[in-house]
Amino acid sequence: MSYVGSRVRPIDWEARTRGETRFAADLTSPQHLYAAVLRSPHPYAEIVALDVSRAERLPGVRAVITTADFPEGITYLHRGAPLSDRPPLAAGVVRHVGQEVAAVAADTPEEARAALRAIRVRYRVRPAPLTPRDALADGARRLHQRVTDEANVAFRLDATWGDVETGGRAGTTVVEGDYVYPSVSHVCMEPNTTLAAWDEASGTVELWTSTQAPWFIAKEVSHLLGIPHDAVICREVAVGGGFGSKSKASEHEVLAAALSRKAGLPVLLELSREEEFGSNKPRHRFETHLRTSADEHGTLRLFDADVLVDNGSYSHMGTSVMRVGMITLGSMYRPDGARFTSRLVDTATQPGGQFRGYGTPQVSLAVESQVDELALRLGLDPLEMRLRNLGPENETTLCGYDVTTSRLGDCLVAVREGLDWDARKTAVATGAAGGSSSRGLGVAAGMHGSGAYAYEFANRSDAAIDLFADGHVRVRHGSADAGTGQNTILAQIAADELGVDLADVEVLSMDSERTPFELGAWSSRGTHMTGSSVGQAARELGDQLRALAEDKLGGGPVTLRDGRAVAPTGEVDLGDLVGLSDAAEGDVLSHETSYVLEGTEMISTGKDRFNLSPTYAYAAHGALVDVDRRTGKVTVLDYVAAHDVGRAINPTAVEGQIAGGAAMGLGAALGEELVREGGRVVNPTYLHYAMPRSADLPSIRPVIVNAEDPAGPYGAKSVGEMSIVPPGAAVANAVRDAVGVRITELPITPDKVVTALAEQEGRRRHHGLWRRPGRWWVALLRALYPYGLHHVLHHWGTRLGRGVGPAGHRPPAPPEVLRPGNLDAVVAAVADGAQPIGGGTDALVERERQSRPAPVLVSTIGVPAMRRIRSEDGALLVGAAVSLAELEEALPPELAFVADAVRSIASPQIRNSATVGGNLAQEKRCWFFRNGFSCYKRNGVTSPCYAVTGDHRFQHAVIDGHRCQAVTPSDLGTVLQALDAEVVLQRGQTTRRLPLADLYDGPGELALADGEIVQHVVVPVPTSGRRGSFRKLALYQGDFATASATVTASVDDDGTWHDVRLVLGAMAPTPWRATATERALEGTTPTVAGVRRLLDRELDRHAHPLPGNGWKLDAVAGLVEHAVEDLLAQ
Amino acid sequence: MSALRRRTDAPATAAAATPLVTLVVNGRSVEAPASRPLARVLRDDLDLTATKVACGRGECGACTVLVDGRPTMSCVTAAGLVRGPVETLEALADEATDLREEFADAGAFQCGFCTPGQLVHATALARRADELVGGDDLPGAVRARMSGNICRCTGYQAITASVCAVLERRAAGATSGPSCGHADPEEAAS
Ligand code: FES
Ligand code: FES
Repeated sequence: MSYVGSRVRPIDWEARTRGETRFAADLTSPQHLYAAVLRSPHPYAEIVALDVSRAERLPGVRAVITTADFPEGITYLHRGAPLSDRPPLAAGVVRHVGQEVAAVAADTPEEARAALRAIRVRYRVRPAPLTPRDALADGARRLHQRVTDEANVAFRLDATWGDVETGGRAGTTVVEGDYVYPSVSHVCMEPNTTLAAWDEASGTVELWTSTQAPWFIAKEVSHLLGIPHDAVICREVAVGGGFGSKSKASEHEVLAAALSRKAGLPVLLELSREEEFGSNKPRHRFETHLRTSADEHGTLRLFDADVLVDNGSYSHMGTSVMRVGMITLGSMYRPDGARFTSRLVDTATQPGGQFRGYGTPQVSLAVESQVDELALRLGLDPLEMRLRNLGPENETTLCGYDVTTSRLGDCLVAVREGLDWDARKTAVATGAAGGSSSRGLGVAAGMHGSGAYAYEFANRSDAAIDLFADGHVRVRHGSADAGTGQNTILAQIAADELGVDLADVEVLSMDSERTPFELGAWSSRGTHMTGSSVGQAARELGDQLRALAEDKLGGGPVTLRDGRAVAPTGEVDLGDLVGLSDAAEGDVLSHETSYVLEGTEMISTGKDRFNLSPTYAYAAHGALVDVDRRTGKVTVLDYVAAHDVGRAINPTAVEGQIAGGAAMGLGAALGEELVREGGRVVNPTYLHYAMPRSADLPSIRPVIVNAEDPAGPYGAKSVGEMSIVPPGAAVANAVRDAVGVRITELPITPDKVVTALAEQEGRRRHHGLWRRPGRWWVALLRALYPYGLHHVLHHWGTRLGRGVGPAGHRPPAPPEVLRPGNLDAVVAAVADGAQPIGGGTDALVERERQSRPAPVLVSTIGVPAMRRIRSEDGALLVGAAVSLAELEEALPPELAFVADAVRSIASPQIRNSATVGGNLAQEKRCWFFRNGFSCYKRNGVTSPCYAVTGDHRFQHAVIDGHRCQAVTPSDLGTVLQALDAEVVLQRGQTTRRLPLADLYDGPGELALADGEIVQHVVVPVPTSGRRGSFRKLALYQGDFATASATVTASVDDDGTWHDVRLVLGAMAPTPWRATATERALEGTTPTVAGVRRLLDRELDRHAHPLPGNGWKLDAVAGLVEHAVEDLLAQ
Repeated sequence: MSALRRRTDAPATAAAATPLVTLVVNGRSVEAPASRPLARVLRDDLDLTATKVACGRGECGACTVLVDGRPTMSCVTAAGLVRGPVETLEALADEATDLREEFADAGAFQCGFCTPGQLVHATALARRADELVGGDDLPGAVRARMSGNICRCTGYQAITASVCAVLERRAAGATSGPSCGHADPEEAAS
C-alpha cells in the first residue's frame, strides 16, 4: 500500500495515549536539582547592586548564577549584530518585567524559590516607554543604541513594489483605517522545560529540552557558554506544543546549562504558567495603518501601509516577523503596486518572538478587512471580490515570490459551498435572524510559504535511514516534532520508498550526536525540507538495496515491497541484504544524505524582494457568526477552513493542523490578548487569559482542496502556519456583516461590540454625578489617579504594605490540612484560628499570594452532616460542604435556572471538588489582586487600586466601586439571592441565620465573625407559578461573570408579575438588586422593552463606571432582557 | 547523589509539618503528606507521570485524575482532601482502549500533553455513556463536559468527535476495550 496520502495513526500513538511518553519534566534520570529564576519586577531599571551571597549560603542551594557567570558583554546571537542585544541574565539594566536577573539551583523546588527571595537587588527605576507611540515620542528613553536614525526604531523597512503611480490613479474607490493585532501568547500546554546535565570531564552538556529546533538551541547555548557547538548535545524528548515559540531559544535553556555547570549536577528548569504568559515572547503586536484602493470592477490597485511593530525590549525575530508581515501586501493579490513603511519599535515590555503565522495574521487582518470594505462600497460580494483578484500561478508576485501552484480559487469556492454562502447571504440580507441576535457571514483568504530561506543553510536538510538486519527501519532527522505529526509523515515516506510496513519504521529525532544536520521545524519547513531529505535518503538507500538484491537474485528489475526485494528470479527479505553490503556496520546498513533546495533566495540586506520558499500554500476561511446585540457576545456558529496544501501526506494530520490553527486564530479573534499594566502582564493565567475552551468553538470544518504541487515532496506544501492567518479578518468581516459595525482591533470582545453598537444607535448614558454628593469623593480620587496619585501610591505607597506572597528565605512551612469528621471539630479548629475551606481548590492557589497564609486549613468535606442536602418546609437545606456537582444533580426542576448558574462555574473537575460554602466565600477575582499586584486590598491602604487606570473592562464594578473596584465573584451568591436564600452560620455552639444578601460586606468578603463558618444554605424551593432565569456574560466557558442577571417572579395566569427579584452579578462589589425596577414591576404585566426602560433608568441613577466599563451597564441590561424573555416564555 | 531528593522522598519540610495520610492510588495504598498536592504525590513520589501539570492552579485540566470516579484537578487537591480511590491514566489505559484508538484515528491529539487529562476525563464520561447518549445534544454535552480540559493543539474538533463516537458505541453495547464500561477501578489498577 501507499502510506503517503493515507490517514495513518501517529506512529507513537500507543505510548502517547498511555501517558508513557516522557516530556522533559517527566524524566527521572538523571537525578537532578531544581532551578528557579529571579525576574525583574520593573519595566526598566538600572541594577545598582546585586548580591547573591545570602542565597548561596542557604541549605539546599547548590548554585546561583548572575551575569557574572557569563562572558562579559555576551548576548544571544539571534539574527546577528547589530540586533543581537539580549544578555542571558540582565547585565546592569533590566528592560522588561520578567527579564531574567539571576537563577538558582537547589535540592527542592521550594528551596530554589525561597532562595530567590534571599537575593538582594537594588534597582534604580527609570521611566521608559511601554508602547510604540510612547517610544517614538520626543524625549522617550532610548532602550538601545540602534542603527536607524530614529530613536527606539530597531529596524525600518520601506519598499515600493510594482507600479504605484498607475495603481494610485486607477484605484478610484479608497478605504483607509487602522488595525491592531494584539500581543497574544502561544500557550503551549507544556511549559518550557529543560533538563541539563553538564559533564565536567568532557566539557559538554546534555540537554533534554522542549524545542522545535535543537540545532538553534545548541548554537545559542554553546555561544553563551563559550563552548563549541558540538559540546551541546540535545537528546530526544517529547515536546508539548511549539507554535513557533520553541523554534528558537526560550531563554531558559542556557540558564539550566549554566546552573548545571556551576553546580556540577544535572538541573531541571521548568517555567511556571505565569512565567510562560508573563515573561516569554508572545506574538508581536502590529498597528497597521492601511489604505487600499480598487477600481470600479473590483480589481485591487494599490496597497499603501504604515506599520508599527512592537518589538518589546529585545530583538528576537522582530525584523523578519515584520518583513514577512509586510510581504502580505505583495503576495496573494496582484494590485498594480504596493508601498509601505514599517518600523520595529523598542518598548520596555516582554519581547515579541516567533509565532505561527509570523507577522502574516497581523497584516492580513488589515488587508482582508479592507478588501471587504471595498466590496461593500462597490456593491460586490466579498467572496466574489476575492475571486476577481486571485494571483496567477507560475508567476512572480510583487514581493518576489515565484508562485508555483495556487488553488486559492478552489478554496474560496469550497467556502462558498461549505457555508451555503449564496443562500445564506440572501437570507441574511432579508433579516432572517430574529430577536436580538444578528447573523453574519465573513470570509478571509491567506497565503504562506513552505519554509523560508531565512538563514544560511536553511535551504539544506540532511537525513539518515538505517536498515536493520531484522528488517526494521529507522529514520533519523535533527528536527523536532512538537506535535505537528512530522515524525509520522517521515515514517510514511520512508515506508513507501522502502516498501516496508509502517509499523516497522521508527523515527529518531532531535539527538545532536545521532542525527545529521537539520535546522529544525520552523517556518512551515518540516514537510518540505525533511520530507524531501528523508525521501531522498530512503530512495538512495532503496537504490543500494535494489542493487544488492539484483546481485543476490541474479537479475532485475527489483522492486521493494512488503519488506522484501522482489525480482522476477526470486525475492529476499530486506534485512537479509544488510549483511551483503560492504557499507553495513554490524547488523545495520545506514545511509545519510543531504537535500539542497534550489531556486530560493536568502533574506539579505539591501534587497526587499525574495523568493523565500519553494512552494506557497493558500487558504480561505469562512465564518458564520451570531452577534448578540444586547451583550456584544460574538459566537461563531460554523466555520469552514479550506486549504490548498498541495497533496496531503497524512490528511488526518493536515486536518488537525487546519482545525488547530483556526482555533488558535479564533482565540485571538475573540478573546485572547496579553493585557499589561505598567509593563507587567495582568492576565498570566488560564483563568484570566480568554482562550477558547471546547464549548466556545464551533464546528471547524477543514477542507483540503484537491491539489498537488510538483515542486513539493510528493506534491505537498505546508499547512501548519497557514491556518492561523485568516480567522481574525474572517470573524471581523462576519461581525461587520451581522451588525454593521467594523471592529478593527482584535480581540472582538463584547465591550468593543457593545460600544460600537451604542455609537451606531446614538445611545448614551447619563449618570448625573453632580447630583450625587455621595460619589464625589470617589470621583475625585479617581480623577487624581492619572495626575500623580497612581504614581505616588504605586512607587511609594506599595513599599509600606504587607507584601505579596511568602516572605523569608526559607521555604514556607506547608499548611496543616485537617479534615475532621464532625462539625464540632471544624468549629473548634476555626475558633483556634484555622482557615475554613471546602475542597480547597481556591484556597491552595490563593495562599501563594498571601503574605501570611493561614498555618492551618480545616476542611468541611469530612463532616457528613455538612455534605447533605435535605428538604424541609419547602426549602432545600444545602450543607456548605456539598460539592457544586452534587448540588447541580440535586436541584429540582423548579430550580433549573440555579443549575444553569452552577454549570457555568469553572470546570466540571472543579465543580466536583469545590463546595457550596467555598464558592460563596471565594476571594475576589480581580486580575490585579489575583496575579501578584501589590494592590490596595492585597497590600494595604497606601497602595493603589490598579483597576482605576488599568484594564477594567470586564471584571470591575460599575456601581458602588470605592477604593477597590473588585466584585464578588460567586455566581451562586448572586443567583440564590433571587430566591431570598439564607445562610446559617455557626460559631462555637451558636448558630444564626441571615439573608444571603447580608453575607457579603465587600467584594468577595464575608460578614462573618471571628471563628464563624457557613454551616448550610437555605434555598426556598419556589412554588408553582414562580419562574426564574439566570443569564451570564463570560469571556469563555467556565469564566467568571463579566456580568450576570438573575430574574425571578411569581407569574399569575393573566401574566401579572409579583415578588420580582432582579439581581445583577459582577456589577457592584456585592451582588446588586435593582430594587426600584423590582418595585415598579410589581403587579404589572411586563414587556421586555418596559423592563429595559425601568432598569436603564435605575442603572443610570446608581452607576459610576470607570472609563472603560460603562458598557457593562448595557450588557447587563441586555442579559436582563434575555432573562425576562425566558420568564415570559416559561 | 543522595542529596538530590528527586522522587520517592518528599521534601523534608513538607513531611515534617503535616501528618501523613493514606491514599489509594491505582489500587495501591500509599502515604503522602496531607498538604501535598495530589499531582505532586503522583508525579514526584510515585513516578506516575502520565498526569501532567500545565498550570498548577486548577485551570487547565492537564492534571485530571479520577477520585472516586469523578474527574478532579489533582494539582489543587491536597492529599489530605482526597475523598476516595485515585485512578490515573496508567491504570485507566486498558479500559480506555477504544477511546485511545479513536483518538489516534481521528487526530484527537497532536503534542499529547493535554491528552492524558482528556482521556481520563473521557473515560469517566464513557462509564456514563448510556445516560449521556440519551440526551438530545451529545456533542454539545461532551463539549460542555470537556471544557475544563484545555487543548492548544487540536482545536477540540477531533476530541469531541472521538468521545462522541466512543460514547455512542458503548451505549449501543459494542465494546472494543478489554474491560470497557464496567471496569472495577480496583481491578483495572491491579
Ligand atoms: S495543571 Fe492542574 S488544572 Fe492545570
Ligand atoms: S494535543 Fe497538544 S495540547 Fe492537546
